[in-house]
Amino acid sequence: MASPQAEYVKIVEEMFEKKKEFWLIGQYVQRWDALSKILGKAKFTADYAYLFKNLVYVYSVRAKYAHARIKKIDVSEAEKVPGVLKVVTYKDIPGVNDVGYVLPDQPLLAYEKVRYIGDIVALVIAENPYIAEEAAEKIHVDYEPLPVITNPLDIVSFGGLKEKEHTLIHDERGSDVIARFRILKGDVKKGFEEASVIVEGEYRTQFQEHAYLEPEVALAIPEPDGGVTVITSTQCPHEARRAISRVLGLPYTKVRVVVPPLGGGFGGKEDVANEIGAKAALAALITERPALVVHKREESIIGHSKRHPMIARYKHGAKRDGTLTAVEAEIILDTGAYASLGPFVLWRAIVHSAGPYKIPHVHTEGVAVYTNNVYAGAFRGFGNPQITFAVEQQMDKLAEELGMDPVELRLKNIIRNGDRTVHGQLLDHGVGLEEAIKKAVEAADWFSKRKRYASQTGTLRKGIGIALLWHGNSIGAEGADYSSVTLIINRDGSITFRTGLTDFGQGSTQGLLMIAAEILGVPLSYFRVEQPDTSTTPDAGPTVASRSTAMGGNATLVAAYKLRQRLNQVAADILKCSPDDIEIHAPEVYCRSDPSRKIRWIDLVEECFWRGVPLQEFGYYRAPKAVWEDETGQGEPYFTYTFGAIVAEVTVDMETGKVKVDRVVTAYDIGKVINRVGAELHAEGGTIQGIGYALMEELVHDQNGRVLNPNLYAYYIPTIMDAPGEIIPVWVEAGYRRGPFGAKGLGEPSINGIAPAIANAIANAIGARITSLPITPEKVYLTLKRLGKISL
Amino acid sequence: MYIPKSIDDALEYLDKHAPDALPIAGGTDILIQIREGKIRPKVLVDLSGFRNKLSYVKRVNGKVVIGALASVSGLDETFLVKDKRYLGFADVSAKFASPVLKALATIGGNIGVAVSASDYVTLLHVLEAQVKLVSVKGERIVPLEKLIVEKRTLAKEPNELIYEIIFSESPENSSTAFMKFDRREMIITGYVTCATYLQLENGIIRDVRIAFDRVSGRIPGRAKKTEEFLKGKEFSLDVIRQAYNEVLPTEMKRKSDYRASAEYRLDMSKVMMKRALLKAKSRIEGGV
Amino acid sequence: MVQVEEYPEITITLNVNGKDYTVNVKPYERLIDVLRYKLGFLSIKEGCGRGECGSCAIIMDGKLVPSCLVLAIQARGRKILTLEGIAPPGKLHAIQKALLDTYAMQCGFCFPGVIMASYYLLSKNKNPTEDEIKYALSGNLCRCGSYLRFVKAVKLAAEYIRKGQVYFDLKK
Repeated sequence: MASPQAEYVKIVEEMFEKKKEFWLIGQYVQRWDALSKILGKAKFTADYAYLFKNLVYVYSVRAKYAHARIKKIDVSEAEKVPGVLKVVTYKDIPGVNDVGYVLPDQPLLAYEKVRYIGDIVALVIAENPYIAEEAAEKIHVDYEPLPVITNPLDIVSFGGLKEKEHTLIHDERGSDVIARFRILKGDVKKGFEEASVIVEGEYRTQFQEHAYLEPEVALAIPEPDGGVTVITSTQCPHEARRAISRVLGLPYTKVRVVVPPLGGGFGGKEDVANEIGAKAALAALITERPALVVHKREESIIGHSKRHPMIARYKHGAKRDGTLTAVEAEIILDTGAYASLGPFVLWRAIVHSAGPYKIPHVHTEGVAVYTNNVYAGAFRGFGNPQITFAVEQQMDKLAEELGMDPVELRLKNIIRNGDRTVHGQLLDHGVGLEEAIKKAVEAADWFSKRKRYASQTGTLRKGIGIALLWHGNSIGAEGADYSSVTLIINRDGSITFRTGLTDFGQGSTQGLLMIAAEILGVPLSYFRVEQPDTSTTPDAGPTVASRSTAMGGNATLVAAYKLRQRLNQVAADILKCSPDDIEIHAPEVYCRSDPSRKIRWIDLVEECFWRGVPLQEFGYYRAPKAVWEDETGQGEPYFTYTFGAIVAEVTVDMETGKVKVDRVVTAYDIGKVINRVGAELHAEGGTIQGIGYALMEELVHDQNGRVLNPNLYAYYIPTIMDAPGEIIPVWVEAGYRRGPFGAKGLGEPSINGIAPAIANAIANAIGARITSLPITPEKVYLTLKRLGKISL
Repeated sequence: MYIPKSIDDALEYLDKHAPDALPIAGGTDILIQIREGKIRPKVLVDLSGFRNKLSYVKRVNGKVVIGALASVSGLDETFLVKDKRYLGFADVSAKFASPVLKALATIGGNIGVAVSASDYVTLLHVLEAQVKLVSVKGERIVPLEKLIVEKRTLAKEPNELIYEIIFSESPENSSTAFMKFDRREMIITGYVTCATYLQLENGIIRDVRIAFDRVSGRIPGRAKKTEEFLKGKEFSLDVIRQAYNEVLPTEMKRKSDYRASAEYRLDMSKVMMKRALLKAKSRIEGGV
Repeated sequence: MVQVEEYPEITITLNVNGKDYTVNVKPYERLIDVLRYKLGFLSIKEGCGRGECGSCAIIMDGKLVPSCLVLAIQARGRKILTLEGIAPPGKLHAIQKALLDTYAMQCGFCFPGVIMASYYLLSKNKNPTEDEIKYALSGNLCRCGSYLRFVKAVKLAAEYIRKGQVYFDLKK
């Protein structure tokens, strides 16, 4: 924290300290794009295809095996099919054949090997999609099949996480372990000696599929200067541009990425645009016609990244009074065939791997390994939901061993203001965890329900469970963390807002508008949001890691602040009062001390033009540099953390094992509620997606690496009838002084705690614990049967 | 696509061109099969224009007759889902695929698809339904049990169309029920499904028929030994328990797959059977 | 798949939102593709291509159907209603207003299907219960998780309609 205070940091801190009254922040407002979407007029990427007459269609020919060497690819017969314009293989790539997001390990088109069934060996470009698919059958690839590895325990083993002998998947890297991180603090051996109780467990989580309703799509238009414009459904336009430029061998100025509204993202559209954008762009430049890539749902499921499955072994030690003495863990993440965001996912998992608690001795060690499964990458939570599932069940197990209430045990160990995290990071303010727990416990009526559910008979049993979470905001030590926006007050008083942050339903842009409107004193109706576009909207960093409000919000705040200063100066000069005295409530501007001295907003704006006072501002914010010691995991991984406490109530049918989630109370400390609608929708949506993760979702591979359930009929996401009867969000505002008005992110925290809260509630209901996800009815039933708790 | 002018016209066309030509009604299965590349018919014979003619549900001489093109949502508007005896139809409809598909999907199509997830087949087995097939050669009536011989395999010629489903009206002191559950509430295959027909007289099981999505093969079928065991006995939980613990496992062989184990499926067959029988009983006694 | 060029195009008339349109279609073309890419009714979304997500739901001859599982030819002569046609120009239907009033909007991709399914329910049931609403929308998947708001919105829309407010001015 020793970096010199940049001006933008000072502005953010000043706003946090000084601004106590808000006219817009925290209100319920309608999204800027709600009307166009409700009318069905909003154009999503695939809708743009209607505007083009001369389209070519690109079909991706996928691998026949999950692991094989490619001896030969023969496309000659396919190219002769009438209507086929070209069949593209790796030989036709002008630039670098790689679309990896973090590591350069992911070819766009396979050239020597295929490593999972979604690998692409050729692209068929044709006049219509049916011809393209037909021609694909005439492509002949000579494969030499290799052993398929679907179990990460074939790559590393517990007890040191050392790599085992096996046929390498990434021979070019010499190892199938892509990353290793740890927290090493104190001496866990000593810690366990001091413990009165020790609990151990192995926890497994599954591949989760994003299942956003809009499958991936990209439309590329060749430009006269040899460049290309790519309209695509991506969360990171500037990242996509980087990848597409690389594949095409073009400078950034010749690649333009435009982002219409997305039909869902959740992290799944973070890196896949690298691939689909590059495919479409390649086809467009080769044929000199607009090219369309649309993935069918099945293709989307086998083709894009998933949530990393985890296998983890945990050991917790605590004193008789509940104080934690030691936590030890080995964590394995399966990153599938390619790294994608894997190294970062592992890092975030390790950072959070001991939970939001004070623990003197910690050794958690994790690796991420390749397998021939579908590759894993970013998915809301990014390693944290997996870890939290393990940690929060361990805490409950400890509570059981100690005969303590799970809430009491947690209150005994959580970090509070003034405490240090397991990384040694001092959090001197902004830790709202205790308040979140208390609010959740109260809203859920925890204690009386725990008493009531302790003695139940009958086929239907109720249970209540709690889970805590913490989530570092933004990208931490993953890279340079910055964001930027442009605010332009137009001459007619309307305002143009530009940012590279994308919207996939989460509505964080609405929060940014509210920040700008709050500071400027201008109604939301004056604003127009330009769609993210690498040629016009500034690089705001990727829309990931729950950073839009925290980082984009600060950038917006800084821009609006500077504009406001200038407006105040001009208004003060005109109205003859001091700049601090200026009130803007557009369309009116007046002196607080004498409201009769006033001017209209549009006249003020016009004055600024005449006086040469610029009314556009580029807002920039850079997060403090994260500090992370690789050997020990000590430092300051994230600048702030969102905290949360989730209480879930379930009813379990003992005869079938089916679990119904009745009620979920979510208490999140998000620093300051900016966009109240957005915050509530996150609490609700994250809960429902978390229920899917907890109870029903699972992407299954067979031993040949083929996905057995690649469609929405066999991969079960929650329907409306699976939603709980009630989701009750409560808010804690333990402001972080360097967030916009103290705000922190919520995008990912809103899923982290759901599955463990449900798992703990189920354990409460049936008196037995299931430690692998999803907690299917079969797992519950067979557990009960083996324990003799049910017999038909 | 061939658009026939009448059913006879369709039959003529099928006679000439089947199996290169396949009939399509709602298309909710066949279009998916084509999309997945599993079948490649040269021509589809569109029957959707005849829905008006072939969607009836009527009572004729002590039998219930259902036109094969009756849609699932269409059945929801008939006496089938109100008559206490046939409430099994309401159960099937409530868990049928999704509301978005109910207007397209037909009961004839459900039979034609002939997989263990064809819920109407499972229900119709306990009503001992028959199917009328028509072709250029005329018509014939065949028991549903004999029509479906294996997964996606019917004992009918490619030029025959499923025309009507027929079953005898059940006695007043009887009812039906159908149970299906899965990890989520809708758009499900079902871990197992169970349909029951029950006739009670003074608390004694006068007649009972129990069908499951699978008994020992890959198609819906009846658990006849279990039925025999129950017939004539007093309806009680103990008797049912005995039936499913001692008799059912002798005739039911479940398989494990990635979705569930054989053990779980067998146990859930027991639970669904019990619940379906209890439901049928409560319907007979006046509840729903 | 057979050689697609063998099949000649057929001219059909589709009645969409009260108007007749003449189009040339191949026999294997789906209604969703014809409505979207030939006639420009882009509100219809494709989420799965198999009728199991509800995004492509439209109303045909008064019944809710998935347009991805209807072949265009099968729709000839039938009355099709899409989101573009549920309210007169410049107006919102009660269900659209209710979804705005309950702040249900997230990514919006599932909304056209949800609106059509709700419209269909309300056309048959003037006062649906919560369970009836949940069942009616159980074929519409929403990954962003606005489900609880859909229930509130349909109830609210039913109330609006009962009070005689079927349409609302856009300039609200």
